Amino acid sequence: MTNQITNTHNITNLRTVLNFTRSKMVEMDILPYLIVTLKNILLKIDAQKLDNLQEIRLRAGKPLMVCHDNTDCFLTPEGQFTRDINNAYLVSQQEIVKCLELMSENSVYAYQDEIKSGFITLRGGHRVGISGKVVMLEGQIKNIKDFSGLNIRVAKEIKGCSENIIKYIIKSNNDVFNTLIIGPPQCGKTTILRDIARTLSNGDQKQDFKGLKIGIVDERSEIAACCKGIPQNDVGFRTDVMDGCPKTLGMEMLLRSMSPNAIITDEIGTHGDKEAILKVLNSGVKIIASAHGYNITELKMREELLVLIKSGVFDRYIVLSSRNGPGTLEEVVDSQLSAVYRRCSV
Amino acid sequence: MIIKLIGAIVLIVATSLIGFSLAADCGRRPKILRELQALMQMFENEISYLSNLLSDAFNRIHSLSNTEASIIFEDAAKQLEINGVTADVAWEKAVVENCRKLALNSEDKSILINFGRMLGNSDLEGQINNIRLISSQLKLQELKAEEMRKKNEKMYRSLGVMSGLAIAIILF
Repeated sequence: MTNQITNTHNITNLRTVLNFTRSKMVEMDILPYLIVTLKNILLKIDAQKLDNLQEIRLRAGKPLMVCHDNTDCFLTPEGQFTRDINNAYLVSQQEIVKCLELMSENSVYAYQDEIKSGFITLRGGHRVGISGKVVMLEGQIKNIKDFSGLNIRVAKEIKGCSENIIKYIIKSNNDVFNTLIIGPPQCGKTTILRDIARTLSNGDQKQDFKGLKIGIVDERSEIAACCKGIPQNDVGFRTDVMDGCPKTLGMEMLLRSMSPNAIITDEIGTHGDKEAILKVLNSGVKIIASAHGYNITELKMREELLVLIKSGVFDRYIVLSSRNGPGTLEEVVDSQLSAVYRRCSV
Repeated sequence: MIIKLIGAIVLIVATSLIGFSLAADCGRRPKILRELQALMQMFENEISYLSNLLSDAFNRIHSLSNTEASIIFEDAAKQLEINGVTADVAWEKAVVENCRKLALNSEDKSILINFGRMLGNSDLEGQINNIRLISSQLKLQELKAEEMRKKNEKMYRSLGVMSGLAIAIILF
């Protein structure tokens, strides 16, 4: 029944790979978009710590916060991490507005659509979330004004993090399984999906795998992180990206126009996804997707996904967790829900 | 006698030339203001139809239009290249540096600086309204400048010739 149940624990530990990411990234990619007062504070942070920041948070009238090593702390005007709110540097709304002007390259009008959708993607793939007063017009969001908060999420591209997962996805040297990657938030689903896209697109010599034409539907600009349409993350050279496009529409468009061998998309499970996925499969195109959830049983609670699971659409379910750091491979299951791999709990 | 005559003629020619050149300077301000209005129209096209970024728009305006006034746009684009400089600061600097060169007065200067305050930090509608506002203000300034030009041009010209004549007569 089960082909390989290995004893290896903690297959991919993203954190060990983190140390190999580009250095000086925060300083080069993000700091130019902050106004001088904030930039000077962040520059005083220890260089090593600065590069390992996960988030920088600006809230109007609230202390300047950073998220480092999965914990958040305040920053003092001297660039020290602190837990004492009295020492923290307070961010003013004016600073937030000015930062946003810089992030939109002084052309807020040209970034109107991005601002409307609640985030801007900086060069380098870093995502900046925006909050503020939303202006509505005829039931549609027209604009966000009176910006009150920015959340700068430092993007970390981790090449090779899917190395141990990819062998469960590859079927033959030019075919892949329909795969669903399941995991709770913050466990590296999107990061792994991106790496899978790159590996499948470029081909993998170790697995004797020829490259496939990959289409990515990147509804929330998280996989490829496009900045002005150009993927900021390396998603492989046989990859086409539909950026900011609703999944159901994007999959159809890719099918019709780009003739992909496989389509990759993030966070399925909302209404209409089922039809779109079936349409993809009927055209003989493979699908690799991810979904929120802790295990397969939980996914069955969701109607759209239950139908897909029951009809045996996916040949492989890959369950991730962050038990041993983000990207821990929990189990791999085939379409009959019998295990192909299971992590031994220690 | 002949030397005196030649001297007088030289004197008159010189003062008239000074007068004429001052008169020509009077025509400069309305011309620059007209140019600025045309540039603003270009700027509106750049951001509404082409939806270019501010610095790209400025650079394109400078390279496409061959006018004196476009130096403000060029300088502002240069300022924007510096990290951490927002549009209003860049524009104000460019205006302050070039006002004297372009024969603009303090009223023109404050109109231009006020325009910069809104530059790039609102949606398209806001930007276009801002451009319309400054265009109408510049139009008004142009009319005033034109009136002044008519008055002063004549005055400078006749003053040049007359003063030359007067000095010549006194010295004779």
